[in-house]
Amino acid sequence: MSTTLKSRAKNLVLSNGILLAIIVLIIVTGIIEPNFFAWKNMVNILRQVSVNGIVACGMTVCIMSGCYDLSVGSIVSMTGVFAILAINAGINDVLCIFIGLGIGLLAGIFNGSLIAAINGRGGEAFIITYGTQTVLAAVALFPSKGLFIAGRVPDGLFKLLGTNNMPIYCFLFVAIILHFILSKTQYGRKLCFIGNNMDAAKMSGIRVKLNRISYFAISGLLAGLAGIILCSRVTSSNPTAGLNYEMNAIAAVVVGGNSASGGSGSIVRTVIGAIVIGIMGNALNILGFSTNYQLIVKGLLIILAVALDILSKRVKS
Amino acid sequence: MSDYILEMKHVRKEFPGVVALDDVSFSVKRGVIHALIGENGAGKSTLMKVLNGVYPATSGEIFLNGQQLDISGVKQAQAAGISIIYQEFNLINTLSVAENIFLGRYNGKQTVHWKALREKAKALIASLGFDFDVDKLVGRLSTAEKQLVEIAKALSFDAQIIVMDEPTSSLTEKEVDMFFPIIERLKAQGITVIYISHKLDEIYRLCDDVTIMRDGKVTGNSTVKDISRDEIIEKMVGRSLDMEYPKRTVTPGDVILEVKDLGRRQQLKGISFQLHKGEILGFAGLVGAGRTELAEAIFGADPADRGQIILNGKPVSIRSALDGKKNSIGLVTEDRKETGLVLAMDVTENTTITDLKSVSSGILLNRKAEEKVAQKYVDQLNTKTPSLHQKISNLSGGNQQKVALSKWLYSNSDILILDEPTRGIDVGAKYDIYCLMNELTEQGKSIIMISSELPEVLGMSDRVLVMHGGTIKGELAGRDMTAEKVMKLAID
Repeated sequence: MSTTLKSRAKNLVLSNGILLAIIVLIIVTGIIEPNFFAWKNMVNILRQVSVNGIVACGMTVCIMSGCYDLSVGSIVSMTGVFAILAINAGINDVLCIFIGLGIGLLAGIFNGSLIAAINGRGGEAFIITYGTQTVLAAVALFPSKGLFIAGRVPDGLFKLLGTNNMPIYCFLFVAIILHFILSKTQYGRKLCFIGNNMDAAKMSGIRVKLNRISYFAISGLLAGLAGIILCSRVTSSNPTAGLNYEMNAIAAVVVGGNSASGGSGSIVRTVIGAIVIGIMGNALNILGFSTNYQLIVKGLLIILAVALDILSKRVKS
Repeated sequence: MSDYILEMKHVRKEFPGVVALDDVSFSVKRGVIHALIGENGAGKSTLMKVLNGVYPATSGEIFLNGQQLDISGVKQAQAAGISIIYQEFNLINTLSVAENIFLGRYNGKQTVHWKALREKAKALIASLGFDFDVDKLVGRLSTAEKQLVEIAKALSFDAQIIVMDEPTSSLTEKEVDMFFPIIERLKAQGITVIYISHKLDEIYRLCDDVTIMRDGKVTGNSTVKDISRDEIIEKMVGRSLDMEYPKRTVTPGDVILEVKDLGRRQQLKGISFQLHKGEILGFAGLVGAGRTELAEAIFGADPADRGQIILNGKPVSIRSALDGKKNSIGLVTEDRKETGLVLAMDVTENTTITDLKSVSSGILLNRKAEEKVAQKYVDQLNTKTPSLHQKISNLSGGNQQKVALSKWLYSNSDILILDEPTRGIDVGAKYDIYCLMNELTEQGKSIIMISSELPEVLGMSDRVLVMHGGTIKGELAGRDMTAEKVMKLAID
């Protein structure tokens, strides 16, 4: 009896170790600086994490399917550049949103089609999306010659997306819809099958290729949305705005406790992961640690998350 | 010195909530081949893992050459001269034969003496009566050759006792014929072999003594020549099986599937045959004869590039597994772990995957409906699982196979292609599957059964087609269905 209790406690720590560590950090920070707990600060943190959170939601789908999408950072940059160019060309702002989303979607479909065409798995996807990352990063630099472009953004939906708490609502909206799709629908079930065992999925009559394309399409589309929100917030575009976004998204997925090797996963975990990383950065800021230290902590956190995931799997089996 | 090289006395092994071994006493005479037989889950593997130091026993004693032995880890067992060769080999495909044999023991302090190592490896292989290049990568060896490397590795530890866990489960009949003399040779060298197998034929061919286990207990000990097949089976399953194969009761009806001149690349050539309603059509042949390739062509997973498939009189185009499924064809694959099931997911999820629409309301999956479906097939197939949400990886081979079958029954397949449906599963589960095959054909379904076990193909099929080199060599029916005739067609 006591052994099962002990192993249960062990399991609990292993599957939620990161969260426990963060809670400790939060409490310590809160004691040192009570303002940390202020509603305003919390909303501020949420606003900061929402763009990364949206990208991470798309990344969750890819990782669950057993692939990493390294191109999302470049898609964020590229979408922003083209959306602002379109705005400045006087195109209707709602249409500009769709142009941005369309660019992201197309980039994702491009990724997915390449990978599906060669029947690729995680390894191939890693390399191919690294390739598109490189290409799309350059495409984002061309029209702006590497410079900022200030946007003449009219009042309207485009502008609204980045104002006040709108990014938070977008993030939560995306998260809720996707969570629903992944956990309750046939599509989500097939995703788990493909992520666990592509061959068995194919042999069960699942259209692996078509589904594979859709995962990258979702990832691309959400990266596009993130790109638009990002440039709406600052009413300008920066051709390197999305630099390292793919890594931040992967970090959110993994720190939240999702398996890094696919086959299972949950958007709720990703949302928690994104928020946790945001809170941690904020807390370390308040405690007076420089960016360098923050990066060290973040890196270690990611390594720890993967280690805990593997360990908890071992304990369970 | 006592007659017995090994005596395990009153061994008990408990896992949380389960008694895996209950007062097991197991004695092996020096220099014999001793069969250990029992259904999956009977405790054979657990007993061997206790012997090999993988699991510590809860209580009990082990004597080697009359001296009590304290085995607390694999290293001690190896040092005491006990080696085990698992069903799934412990070899590294990207290393050479010599490197594999001496893995982790590359003598020499800073550098490896490759030359000495190679010579030692060569000598070991030679002592088994073989001669092959020890620099060859293990990944390039056939299964039979890998088996040899495993034995050589065991010998390199100066093993006195070698445990072999179902060594022939992935060998072809021809390879088995090559493999048995090696075991005889080990015996001649004074090495004791503990031989775990499901195959009674092999035990009568090879072994001196036999111990039978059921439900964690020993149910019988005998010399092989003093015990009949029926007695062994009865002690294994606790009930007497009248026959190993239930009687066929169905008279096949009209032609349901006709394959005309089917071909694919160089793998399949000019395949033509007919399958009747309610028929079990056996496909015999050696491994690599093209039977699995044919199954995948008919099912669509790897579609044919020539020829015609005619279903119920109408030509159909089957270009993918999805097409196969839509045309009511189901394929229970040869390798349930790699292509048949998703091990990390549960019984319910693996059952309903072939038709999620029927258990959904709109786009939503209906968990209750899914469980109902899964429960139905668990009951119908007598699948032993603690719950509908047990992960497949925690089920025994026979029960896994039943889930792999369930998914195609659920999708309502009229034609079931069963590729090695009883590979690596125990006698009880085999019998369940044979009975199910009869039941399904009674319901009007038709079955194509591919099997490398001749008695099974002959015992269960209405007709047998024999393949060789991607073509059908001949058809046997009625009295002509004999092992000799099949082998003659299969080998040529």
